[in-house]
Amino acid sequence: MLIKLTGGTVYDPNSGVAGQKQDIYIEDGRIIAPPAADRAVDREYDVSGKVVMAGAIDLHSHIGGGKGNIARTLLPEDHRLDPVARTLITRSGNGHVIPSTFVTGYRYAEMGYTAAFEPALLPINARQAHMEMGDIPILDKGGYVMLGSDDYLLRMLTAKKDQKAINDYVAWTMNAAKAIGVKVVNAGGINAFKFNQRKLDLDEQNVHYGVTPRQILQTLARALQELGVTHPLHVHGCNLGVPGNVDTTLHTIDGIEGLPMHLTHIQFHSYGKEGDYKFSSGAATIAEAINRNKNITADVGQVMFGQTVTASGDSMRQHYNHRFAHPDKWICMDIECDAGCGVVPFKYRDQNFVNALQWAIGLEIFLLVDDPWRVFLTTDHPNGAPFMSYPHLIRLLMDKSFRNDMLARIHPEAQKMTTLGSIEREYSLQEIAILTRAGAARILGLKDRGALSPGNWADITVYTEDADREKMFAKPNFVFKDGELVAKDGEIVQVTWGTTHVAQPEYDPSVEVELKQYFDRYLTMKLGNFKISDDEITETGRGSITVHPLRGAA
Amino acid sequence: MSALTFTFKQNTAQRVDLSPLVSQNLHGLSAAEIAALELQAGNARLPVAELFDISGADVQDIVIANATAKLDYIGKSSAGGKISVLGDAGAYTGMQLQGGSISVSGNAGLYLGCELKNGSIVVGGNAGDYVGGALPGNKQGMRGGSIIIKGNAGSRVGDHLRRGQILIEGDAGDYLGSRMLAGTIAVLGQVGRYPGFAMRRGTLLLWNTPPLPAYFNDCGANTFAFLPLLFASFKGLNSRFADSGLAFSRARRYGGDIVEGGRGEILVKV
Repeated sequence: MLIKLTGGTVYDPNSGVAGQKQDIYIEDGRIIAPPAADRAVDREYDVSGKVVMAGAIDLHSHIGGGKGNIARTLLPEDHRLDPVARTLITRSGNGHVIPSTFVTGYRYAEMGYTAAFEPALLPINARQAHMEMGDIPILDKGGYVMLGSDDYLLRMLTAKKDQKAINDYVAWTMNAAKAIGVKVVNAGGINAFKFNQRKLDLDEQNVHYGVTPRQILQTLARALQELGVTHPLHVHGCNLGVPGNVDTTLHTIDGIEGLPMHLTHIQFHSYGKEGDYKFSSGAATIAEAINRNKNITADVGQVMFGQTVTASGDSMRQHYNHRFAHPDKWICMDIECDAGCGVVPFKYRDQNFVNALQWAIGLEIFLLVDDPWRVFLTTDHPNGAPFMSYPHLIRLLMDKSFRNDMLARIHPEAQKMTTLGSIEREYSLQEIAILTRAGAARILGLKDRGALSPGNWADITVYTEDADREKMFAKPNFVFKDGELVAKDGEIVQVTWGTTHVAQPEYDPSVEVELKQYFDRYLTMKLGNFKISDDEITETGRGSITVHPLRGAA
Repeated sequence: MSALTFTFKQNTAQRVDLSPLVSQNLHGLSAAEIAALELQAGNARLPVAELFDISGADVQDIVIANATAKLDYIGKSSAGGKISVLGDAGAYTGMQLQGGSISVSGNAGLYLGCELKNGSIVVGGNAGDYVGGALPGNKQGMRGGSIIIKGNAGSRVGDHLRRGQILIEGDAGDYLGSRMLAGTIAVLGQVGRYPGFAMRRGTLLLWNTPPLPAYFNDCGANTFAFLPLLFASFKGLNSRFADSGLAFSRARRYGGDIVEGGRGEILVKV
């Protein structure tokens, strides 16, 4: 079937198209070049005057894995606030801060998102995470496998294994857990917590293994570089949320020695300790460092005011944060010696000095990083805010007077501590398209997503131009996933199933010899069961696997 | 003005959510508008008139006649007025009640008066589990008002109870006053196993010695000056608790749950 979107104003940063009027043709799920004039169009959508972008991609959103279920179990009162009834085509569930799987897919798609990536795919829990993401309709998904606090890697580092051996282990784990990237959470800190360390600086040794976070980050970043994995090491740094951690973050940037690195939810890592409250913004310093170091990319992890729940693998920091839990209940746990998990419900308040300044710091980073290709729009769902707040966030970035109105409402002392009011920058539609589509697709190495040139999959979102950007981005007119119309005017009209994006770096199969012994001796699972086969994702008939190319070993 | 009466036609096998039928919702509505209000019945939404015969007009005096245990959420969050249930009531009767009174002539289901804020509930028959309790996951149950049960009550009466009183003329099930934060529960009949489990403060007032768990300490028999005052406050109640012959001032006190600091108490008549 030949589909035509006629007369739209297209924003496609990948092809350098910025607001030109263009027709788009779709056939067999993909965008094609304009066909011969005599070919009949089967279905035409008049989108003249409307804004056309590729489907949005969220590169850091906690949508799968055990912690979501723990958060759901912990917060039944939250689910009761937002029950979602079934319709003839959609299933029932719950929304709000940690939506059920089905509602996650619907709400993302209604907002024009067509892909989301789970950043904390724990190797030992990867199967559950994939099964859970397999229940998220419409969206494409993928995950970054979490390494750096796992006993096996730390043993390797203690034993001073060579880089080649580490590379094999990393590549093997990515293949076994079906991941597209590698994430480090508080490098080594989750493990150190189990040896009663309550903080771990970049150069502080784990008391048991004698390994420092700096070593772990360097080793893993180098492994990905040598394996040719496109997505750089995805780093949740040390000292999350600690006043003064801006120095840690700067040292982390320097310490990686030019290797590609993605700093995630950097807002939580950009705090100074000046002023009466010993808490201040380090956003300008961090933005300057990102501008200067071209090997660094970052997503913001913006906080938004209201109730949410923080779910993180960083049990060390989550244990510290439990005293701020609202409502007052929380969970921290070890996960099979592989990593940890901390779930702390949280309410960000605009009249709380720290929360208000966190909000301002996030926005400062967005506005002070010059290159939109190296910064990404996230709230670290659900840790900074649920993903449903993205349209509001986009309006804050695109509308200076609205931003200043919001700024005037926050804690007065926080207003004095931020330069936000003096920043003139407003994001353009093209820049938003880079932040939420083109840039994300590029850094993930998605070969045929996030762009509107012929050959790409037809993930397309059509918005009605509106000066109120929140309204504009909340309910797009049309959302196409793989060429199928899935949402119309913010309502789901068809339920499809997305693919799972993976990368498959090569490794020496002999890596399994030692791993097998390790699994047999220490773990609850046998090596053969640990590895996820393609069938497990595809056998339901709705999942599929898309392997993306490596960028070639450097 | 005569009582606004909803007579259940008993024409559905599904459970019906009656939460819209409370005074603050019906105030100012015409008879036709009330008849057209939609109720959730199983997976369908049906107008009130399809399930009930409606007569009368006084929204401060609501009667649910011919009622069965399928009718849930009677008087949910009601802000005032009187609701009389003739027959049985389903689950969540009087949930989060803010004021006024509810009476049930038959039995009531699970979660009777759960998270009750103010007002009173009287049940002529028996009640299910979690009387005056908290919804799963919530940290506070009933926060004020009173519940009187003339028959027996199920397990976990007063789970997470925060304030207010629950008076049971018959027996109570297991885990009476579990996770109680404060408040008073009195039981004339027998009590099941594990009373006061994880109780922090508050009083369980009993006429019969319960099977006492290890996490309560015997503090001996004493004369309590507050007991005559408490019984005096029961005087006007429509209940056997108003009978001065039941009153006592001497009781054996057990302190617990020790795991939670031991500031709660079980008082047993001696």
